[in-house]
Amino acid sequence: MINATKKWIFLKVSSIILIPLMVWFIINLVSIYEKDYVDIVSFFSTQPSKFLTSLLMIVAFFYSSLSISEIFEDYIHDKKIKNIANKTLYTFFIIVPLIIIMVLFNLNI
Amino acid sequence: MENKNPLSPHIQIYSWNISLLISISHRIIGVINIVALTFVCLWIALLLLGETNYEYIKSFLQSFLGKFLILCLTWSFSFQILSEIRHLFWDFGYGFELITSKITGLIVIFGSFVLTILIYLIGKQII
Repeated sequence: MINATKKWIFLKVSSIILIPLMVWFIINLVSIYEKDYVDIVSFFSTQPSKFLTSLLMIVAFFYSSLSISEIFEDYIHDKKIKNIANKTLYTFFIIVPLIIIMVLFNLNI
Repeated sequence: MENKNPLSPHIQIYSWNISLLISISHRIIGVINIVALTFVCLWIALLLLGETNYEYIKSFLQSFLGKFLILCLTWSFSFQILSEIRHLFWDFGYGFELITSKITGLIVIFGSFVLTILIYLIGKQII
């Protein structure tokens, strides 16, 4: 299997996982964003919220790294710049979900 | 030799239509959503600073601008969800006919506003 096919399959599988997670997260975000500190922390302290938010972040950043690298492929011609842009993108998109997972598992009421 | 080919997807050359609008919007909104999710991550991380410090963020989120930003985020999520579903149908070989493509494009645009209202009402437990 060539790399482009693998990339396409990863994109499609992650988008199928992402759709229900996005619906779940945005509904909950709307319901909690105005609430008090204690309510928000207790929401993120439950095991299902920790798990689903972590999964959302991992899949969303993975999906976005693949899609944004496609944008780089279309708009950046210089190979060196494209390489640097992709490496920066992958580093950032690995670090952010890792940090947020650590935060979520340290967050307790 | 220097590559002088025009850059994809040639948005400055083709005349605008629904498919082109949805295609470029899908990309732009995808980038906006991941930037927004990064801010959501920051918001969650700031919870570690404790209740006293959170009061500033709370008052911002309760302001008009805060509410407006959440509404915009709801719309951009709604748009991406519907547009992604449209892409998945294409991947299974459905919806390539010109008229179907135009109709589904319009569904994505108008449906995103309907879905935003629906998500907001469900989130606020009004329905």
